[in-house]
Order: sequence, then C-alpha cells, then structure tokens
Amino acid sequence: MTYKKPVQKLAGKIREITLGENLKLGGESVLPFYSFDGDTGHKPVIGMEIWDVHPENWPTTVMEELGDRVRNPVEWAKFCEEKYKPDFLCLRFVGANPDMGDRTPEECAQIAKEVAEAVTLPLVIAGCDSNEKNGKIFTKVAEALADKNFAFLSAVESNYKEVGAAVGLAYGNIVVAESSVDLNLAKQLNILLMQLGVKPEKMLMNPGCSAVGYGYEYVITTLDRIRLAALDQNDATLQLPIIMPVSFETWKVKESAASVEDVPEWGDQEERGIAMEISTSVGILAAGANAVVLRHPRSLEVVREFINSLIQ
Amino acid sequence: MARFMTIGERIHVISPVIRKALQERDPAPILERAREQVEAGAHYLDVNIGPAERDGEELMPWVVKLLQSEFPDTPLCLDTANTKAIEAGLKVYDPKPGKAIINSADAGARIGMLEVAAEYGAMVIGLCAKEGIPRDNDERIAYCTEILDRAMAVGLNPEDILFDPLFVVVKGMQEKQQEVLEAVRQISEMGLKTTGGLSNVSNGCPRNLRGLIEAVFCSMAIQCGLTSAIINPCNKLLMDVIKTSEVIKGWNLYCDSYLEL
Repeated sequence: MTYKKPVQKLAGKIREITLGENLKLGGESVLPFYSFDGDTGHKPVIGMEIWDVHPENWPTTVMEELGDRVRNPVEWAKFCEEKYKPDFLCLRFVGANPDMGDRTPEECAQIAKEVAEAVTLPLVIAGCDSNEKNGKIFTKVAEALADKNFAFLSAVESNYKEVGAAVGLAYGNIVVAESSVDLNLAKQLNILLMQLGVKPEKMLMNPGCSAVGYGYEYVITTLDRIRLAALDQNDATLQLPIIMPVSFETWKVKESAASVEDVPEWGDQEERGIAMEISTSVGILAAGANAVVLRHPRSLEVVREFINSLIQ
Repeated sequence: MARFMTIGERIHVISPVIRKALQERDPAPILERAREQVEAGAHYLDVNIGPAERDGEELMPWVVKLLQSEFPDTPLCLDTANTKAIEAGLKVYDPKPGKAIINSADAGARIGMLEVAAEYGAMVIGLCAKEGIPRDNDERIAYCTEILDRAMAVGLNPEDILFDPLFVVVKGMQEKQQEVLEAVRQISEMGLKTTGGLSNVSNGCPRNLRGLIEAVFCSMAIQCGLTSAIINPCNKLLMDVIKTSEVIKGWNLYCDSYLEL
C-alpha cells in the first residue's frame, strides 16, 4: 500500500479583508503556514511605524537614515514607502497624548489626509495611550479619509461604540477590535461590534500583543486558541484577520531601551531592539497573525524573508 | 470539534395544519413553519410527509423544491417510509447547503435506504431497531453493527450515518432512560455520529413539562456523546441548553453573548 500523507481538514476559513484598495489579508483555511494541509490564503503583510511627532529614543541608524524627514510625517511616509517598500504604513498619533502635546483631533485629521495624499500604500491609523481621546481622533480622521478602507487601531471595550459607529458605519473604514489577551473578550468584542452593525468585511482584530518575555506565552496560546476556534469549530465571530502592532510593545521594554552604558554585558542596544522585534514577530506570525507593524528596516527585511521562506 | 447539529421537526404530517397543506399543495403554512424553525436556529429541516402511499413520488419533490427555493441555505431531512418518495425527493434536491438526510433506515425492512443514500450521496439516519423498540442495548448495538456493515458494503461512509438508538418515552418507560443514554455512549465510543427524536422522550407529558424534559435529556445525552437531535427549535429553553452544553463541552468558545448567536 502506498503512503498517503494525512491532511488536517478544518471546517472554517478566515475572512478575506481588503486594506486600502487592494492589500488583501486572510483567506486561509489552515493553521499558519501549514501549506501542506491546504490554502494558506494571502501572505502575512508588514507595515512600518510613522509618528506625527519627532520620536525620541528611536534607534540611531534609523534616525540617521530618516534624517530631517522625521520632522514631517508626509516626508517620512514618502521616504519609507520608496526606500523600504513595506506593505502598508502605520501612522501613529503619539502627539495626541495629553502629556505629549495634546494634538487636537482636527490637526490629526489634517496630517492623516496629507500623508494619505502623498503615498500610494494603505494606511493603518493608530492613536495615543488614551482610549477616550482615540475615540475623538478616530472620528475626525475617519471622516477626513472616508471610504478609504484604512484600518484604525483600535476599538476597545470602553470606546467600541464610538469608534465602531464612526470608523466602520459612518465613514467606511476598517475597525480593529482590540482586547487585552483575553480569549473570551476577543470574541465578545467582535460580536458587540457586529451587533452594532459593523460588517465583518470592515473588521480586523488585535487580541493583544506583548514583547517576548512579557506574558508572551499567553499571547501565543490566545492566538492559537482563537485560530482553532475559527478554523476547527468554524466560529464565524473569530474568522477575522489579525493585525498586531509589534513595535509598539518591543521597543519600550528594558531589553530594547536600556543603554549599553547601563548594561554593557547585554551588548549593542540597537541589535537587542531588532532581535526583540524580530523574535516577537515570528512567534505571533507562526501563531496566526496576518499583519504586523514594525519599526526597524532590518526587522522588516528579516521578517519578510521569514515569511517568504515559509510560503513559496 | 464540530458543533451540535439540530434537525427541526415541525414540518410533520401529524400536524393537522401541515397535513392539510401537503394534501392541498398549499405552500404558506409549510413555509411559515420552515421560517420559524430557521429563525430559531435549526440547522436542518425535517420534512415528514407520512407514508404517502398514493402520491409520495409527486409530493416529496414538490415540498423539497418549495423549501429549497425559499430557504436555499438550509439542508433538508427527508422523512417517509416510502422509498420511491425519498428517491423522487433526492432527485430534485440541491446539495449545495449540505447533503440531504434520509429519515430513516433501520436493521429491518428499511435497510435498503442505505443503498439509496449511497446512490444519491445523501446522509442517512440509522435507527438501531428492527421490529418495534429494541429489548436492550445488546440488541441496539447488534442492529447498529448490522447497519454499519451493510453501509460499508454499499460504499456509504460511516460519517454519513447518524445512529439513532431510539429515544423512548419517560412516562411509561422511565426505567429505560439510562439504558438509552448508555447506548448513546457506546455508539459514540465507536467514533460514530448519533441522533434521536427528543419529543419521543416527553411524549404524553403535560405541555408545561415537555420542553424542560427534552432540554435536560438532551444535555445528559450530549454529555454521553450525542452529536445531533431531531428537535422543536422553537423551544427556547432547549436551544439555550444546547448552546450552553456546547460551551461546557468545549465545542464553542465562551463569550458573554453566546446565547445570542
């Protein structure tokens, strides 16, 4: 008898979501990278982080390459698009933080509009640390970028009504449902947004990210169980592509932030930061994420190579 | 793990409204019952036309086409002892929403339904009985094995058979309830799918108790491995108990709104 390779057939399929005009996410009906079992859908995509304000404490070589462009998000975005060729750009309104300048929603909308006009890549809009403020920012930015199909990071339990109604219902953009590494809440928040009337094709999810070493195993098992519920149990409420802002987490932990003067035995600071960003990314991609946001061009290169090596 | 499958039982010739509608080929009452069951969350709709000896071959295709035109996403369970009527129904059945189920084959006179299922690519309920109610579980399992052997011989996949151990009425056959549950366990342990008619259990009981009895029996049977049931989906208590059982079994991921889905 000839050997017949066993195939794990799963009942469900991750919904295909289009970011911007034609960046497609999801579509897989197998576990991440399990091309031997069936259709792996669209390749995971990578976005690069851009700020509305001049960043402090970013890696030296990145700052050197960017030069004065970091003072202008439009120039910064154009440069990243041309030089590093990411799949999308993530415009993050750090300057809207109440203690970082408290930029108004109107100003954020103006910047987002200028960036969107200057580049061809789709945008992912990220807010500041205040969920309350984000509700206001996202409303204005979504209005300025109506029907662009850009994603907004994120709607959380405390502001999902405001964000869902503005981003997903009124202005035709994509709502990212974010929970804090809580499997049941991830499902619940998706349901609440759907019950609000947001169409699943206007949704992505971020079930909560952390850097390696910071509750990361729990992030991974949460992703695993979400993907198994979506694919094995055919749970339609969880069949959404997953986007994770990896760089938001990995560059603030001490392994990336501590200077070489403080901990000489840890070696070069920038190398450490890149290593944290890459190792966090490959783990969550292998556990089911469809999109990651990165900061360092080297990480982008390595993670892209990782994806391409696993999916021919 | 797959979810629990529900087959709505309310299109049944025993109901005077449905009997009349079938006789007069009046779509409205049939579609209304179909709609309320689909809206209540039934996965399959059972269509019982009775023996229909006179016009079954014409009646079954009519009702199949009627329901499929109105509910193209809901698969059907064709329910009659009349083989020719089943075949006529399967000929016009569109399997796009899911394979049709034949209700039912048994280890006796109706064993030929297995061939019909194999021929038309349908699923089939395998009633673990020959004549009347099986005496005990030795008999049930013997009939189950007989059906399985025959099914394999005619090329039917075991996954396409729902074994029905024959649920019995609690009022009068109380001492048999545990035995039936044990049969569900034994059949499930063989890796086979199971089903059963829940209204059999509560038959003859006061109306205010029937829903409760069916819900509790169903939950106990699910714990024994039951994978589907023929039910009244308009019994909200039963539907909620099934959804909760799926959560407790780990077949569906818990969230606060799980009953609303």
